[in-house]
Amino acid sequence: MRILVLNWRDLAHPEAGGAEVYTEQVLRRWAAAGHEVTLFAAAVAGRPAAEIVDGYRVVRAGSRFTVYREARRWWDRYGRGRFDVVVDETNTVPFHAHEWVGDGARTIALVHQTCEEIWHINAPPLAAHLGRYVLEPNWLRRLAGAPILAVSASTRDALARFGAADVTVVPEGYEPPVDLPRVAKEPTPTAVFCGRMVSYKRPREVIRAVQLARREVPGLRLWMIGGGPMLDRLRREAPEGVEFLGRVPEEVKHDRMARAHVHLATSVREGWGLVVTEAAAMGTSTIAYDVPGLRDSTRAAGGVVVPPQPEALARWLVELLPGLTTAAPAPLPYGGAHSWDDVATTLLAAVDQHARVPDGVRAATPATDRSIRENQLRGADA
Amino acid sequence: MRISFVVPTRNSARTLDACLASLRTQTHPDVEVLVVDNGSTDATTEIAGRHADQVLQWGPERSAQRNHGTDRSTGDVVVFIDSDMVLEPHIATQIHDRFTARPEVGALIIPERSFGDGFLARCRQLEKHLYVGDAAVESPRAFRREIIEKLGGWDEELTAAEDWDLADRTREVTAVGRVTAWIWHDEGRIKLRATFAKKRYYGRWIDQYVRMHADSSGSKFARTALLRKPGSLLRHPMLTAGLATLKLTEAAGLVMGIRDSRAAASASAGAR
Repeated sequence: MRILVLNWRDLAHPEAGGAEVYTEQVLRRWAAAGHEVTLFAAAVAGRPAAEIVDGYRVVRAGSRFTVYREARRWWDRYGRGRFDVVVDETNTVPFHAHEWVGDGARTIALVHQTCEEIWHINAPPLAAHLGRYVLEPNWLRRLAGAPILAVSASTRDALARFGAADVTVVPEGYEPPVDLPRVAKEPTPTAVFCGRMVSYKRPREVIRAVQLARREVPGLRLWMIGGGPMLDRLRREAPEGVEFLGRVPEEVKHDRMARAHVHLATSVREGWGLVVTEAAAMGTSTIAYDVPGLRDSTRAAGGVVVPPQPEALARWLVELLPGLTTAAPAPLPYGGAHSWDDVATTLLAAVDQHARVPDGVRAATPATDRSIRENQLRGADA
Repeated sequence: MRISFVVPTRNSARTLDACLASLRTQTHPDVEVLVVDNGSTDATTEIAGRHADQVLQWGPERSAQRNHGTDRSTGDVVVFIDSDMVLEPHIATQIHDRFTARPEVGALIIPERSFGDGFLARCRQLEKHLYVGDAAVESPRAFRREIIEKLGGWDEELTAAEDWDLADRTREVTAVGRVTAWIWHDEGRIKLRATFAKKRYYGRWIDQYVRMHADSSGSKFARTALLRKPGSLLRHPMLTAGLATLKLTEAAGLVMGIRDSRAAASASAGAR
């Protein structure tokens, strides 16, 4: 199959995150299976406009804001007639490929998460209100008529609120480390938080919850793992029992995760919450806020979700810690996620089954002359 | 001791999953969950089907739903939970322990905290905090089966204030105790207009309750607990101002509802 994936970042982008890991893991498996795969993404300083990465082609043009326009231009000049299916990977802003593909190729959207409350954290107040209540609803309602793939039931439910009816949940992927740490749990009750120290992860609320819980579990400790803009301030304010490790190598993170009795997660929302999956793979249960994404990954990993309040997190922590310190759960290799091989296979099957030619688009004859296509590819590389 | 949780629902999809999941993760080993739905058109019954031992259909309103749930439950204890509540894990264990330790106690209060989105939800949090331990406001939720059967269950004539009515009748026949674990009540995003409309609707039954319990109903409305801890209010002046607005809106809704009820009663008397 000839597949075009539109995503505003590729893995080489300095702001690449979980969605790009997902994309990269899947695309290289599709390419290895013999599919002709192209990823269109924003330009990255110091990287070529087109290159082959792990068997698939990456085409880069445009910035954070112009990548959507550049994708459409590239499609009109080089893409038309060359693909069987276009995957519109939505990170807040969709490419709306179903509105402009128009050559008979099938389209489908892939949504990791909706932004919603996160607008208020990532943008100044006026822009946040505009984004949350005007722009994003408008983008998602335009997308609602197209078939959509979502990485969790929470994302599916969120999309349904914007009118999307044809949404299929595909699994999130995870690769357990080759060498799982073989360590005993700490002798004293220990919680761990793992994530960037940014507002939307709410690290302050974890610290507050642990401080409240310490009234009833006096020796309770908290390890805060991760870098980020709030790190220095949080470190300065650190109360007793809280240790900040900053950004650490993966093996150190895994070691601490495995030694802790409980993992705490307090994000405003997630697409899935892969860190919960990771903790479960290390044999550590999660207590998480009951918010979209975290509720999916936490329940899948056998953890517990609580009302999104530090006081509630503290209460559950106090009630559940005795059980967690006496009987540590066995590691769950994939912690509720699937192997990347499974994800790549399931996602491709879902794309093939659910993608459709956009309404009102007349099927055109795809360009089959190989020399023309090669010229077009060269044009993309120029 | 088997603990039966009875949850009446109607279009409760937003909150029901968290509620039922918290019932299913109770540390007590013998827990039964019954959902009594009343014609939901959203995903309520699908969510209920994932967690509950029995999903029943019954009406016309929540008192009748709870009584039907009691009839169909098999537990030694029946606990009435609303679909927007989340229970801490040890509540069922504490209910078992309290009833085992004190045979004279026939019903238990489970204290409540609230959570939700936005400023008014935080005002409500403050309000609920002030009610903890106030006998005029708190009502028992967990009943020994013989007690709830002896009382004849919930008054199906009441759609609001039915918890006060049952609390009054319970205290006449048995001692009421309490557990220390909390119920977390999901207030969602509170809107003044919706609050007014809801209270106006409830006002009709409040009027009926007042006529039925003329001797004891005054304290229910005075809400003296709000004034008993002035320090809590003074520490949060913004929340206090928001709470005052919320309570005034509710009071206006109730007054309008009572007026509607009396106007309807006099119109029907005139027609006769």
